[in-house]
Amino acid sequence: MPEEKKIIGLTWEPKLPSLLLGKKSGSNDKSQNVPETSLVYKSNSELIDGLFVPPNDPKKVNKLLKKQVKDTTGKNWFDMPAPTLTPELKKDLKLLKLRNVIDPKRHYKKGDSKLNTFPKYFQVGTVVEPVSEYFTSRLTKKERKPTLADELLSDKSLKDYRKRKVREIEAKNQPGGVDKWKIKGKASWKRAKQRRH
Amino acid sequence: MRAPMRGGGGRGGGGFSGGRGDGSGRGGRGRGGFGGRGRGGADMTRGGGRSGGRGGGRGRGGGRGGRGSGMKGGSKVVVEPHRHEGVFIAKGKEDALCTKNMVPGEAVYNEKRISVQNEDGTKVEYRVWNPFRSKLAAAVLGGVDNIWMKPGSKVLYLGAASGTTVSHVSDLVGPGGVVYAVEFSHRSGRDLVNMAKKRTNVIPIIEDARHPAKYRMLVGMVDVIFSDVAQPDQARILALNASYFLKAGGYFVISIKANCIDSTVPAEAVFASEVKKLQAEQFKPMEQVTLEPFERDHACVVGAYRVPKKQKPAS
Repeated sequence: MPEEKKIIGLTWEPKLPSLLLGKKSGSNDKSQNVPETSLVYKSNSELIDGLFVPPNDPKKVNKLLKKQVKDTTGKNWFDMPAPTLTPELKKDLKLLKLRNVIDPKRHYKKGDSKLNTFPKYFQVGTVVEPVSEYFTSRLTKKERKPTLADELLSDKSLKDYRKRKVREIEAKNQPGGVDKWKIKGKASWKRAKQRRH
Repeated sequence: MRAPMRGGGGRGGGGFSGGRGDGSGRGGRGRGGFGGRGRGGADMTRGGGRSGGRGGGRGRGGGRGGRGSGMKGGSKVVVEPHRHEGVFIAKGKEDALCTKNMVPGEAVYNEKRISVQNEDGTKVEYRVWNPFRSKLAAAVLGGVDNIWMKPGSKVLYLGAASGTTVSHVSDLVGPGGVVYAVEFSHRSGRDLVNMAKKRTNVIPIIEDARHPAKYRMLVGMVDVIFSDVAQPDQARILALNASYFLKAGGYFVISIKANCIDSTVPAEAVFASEVKKLQAEQFKPMEQVTLEPFERDHACVVGAYRVPKKQKPAS
């Protein structure tokens, strides 16, 4: 059918079969389902002769351009990018906010107390020690972990404190009642019943 | 073992062992470091052994051992932008101020670095900024409202010494800015020049800051003057340099060491008299912060120069 139409685009353009199989109406539905994130993807109906033509309206063009600009802190902080928040990153950021309970001997400035607000711009980095501190302040290859959470879990010295605290809290939250009368699984069912009488 | 953050988390900084471990101190002006804060004996960074400065513990009983430094090489930290432009904060088990390294892969004075791999594969590096060694960092952690230095600024730095703070200022202003670093001593000037070889935005000047006419051909108009000369006539030195190089409506940051001006009167009186002197020289001091946990009897005064008068609205 392109032969019937006046060709607007390049005449030498190869006529490729469209990647989207299916009817036009179907593809339209799909385009509505696709979120705004896919800037590259355009449904067939929006393309003109298989090519993307920017809209005529300057407002729309500006909107498009703004979307394509990478989200950064700007030149005042040397264009620090905003990373995509993965669950691991979120966990690490939460850990940072709760770090005052990790170690009883370390005190921190009060940060913001909201647990579920995350900074927009940040980067996760690894500390590189100077050569002079090779023997004193350096983690061995085994001790290095990919995330803050892993680092915390692998720290032996904090483990005892953490366990003790967890036990304390559990003991406090334990419901009342006599422990030995409780049903502990199926095996003890009968005996527990007998004990009760 | 390093001591954990000072009592009750008063300052966010922390994470720094005191003093200068490497041998490149300013002649005879070494800082005693926080020797008494009990790092393990084998630690290289234990506060300046050879310096005769103030030295000694500061009434904080030794052996307040923690559980090892929180920022060991290889540990993960989260770098976030600081309130001040061009400055960053690294948060991990402890917090540290840092600046983006202009020369990735190189440390200037054996400081820790933080290397970051971005999502798009590019690598960035930050350098940890130690407030015990830099008065500007101490002022930032002390909560100064504005240091007036930001990416793209032109800064005249009086009393550059070996260039440790200068390297951080050079990071801070970035490739778009310039730092003119003036230092009189040839010995520490050598380190300064070596540092400036790798940083294109640092211009080292080995001259007496009392005679700005000698280096007037090298320095253009600047936005900010930072002065850390520790001389009895430092207000006059600052005023001289400002009259030559500082633009009208520019800013100054001066670090005042009370002992260097008059050791017979209390520090507060010295600061007040210095501020008076500054006001007489067309400076308009706006705020003063003490550098207390990091330096003893030091203050940092920030203000503007030749502030243009406010226009009265036409009636």
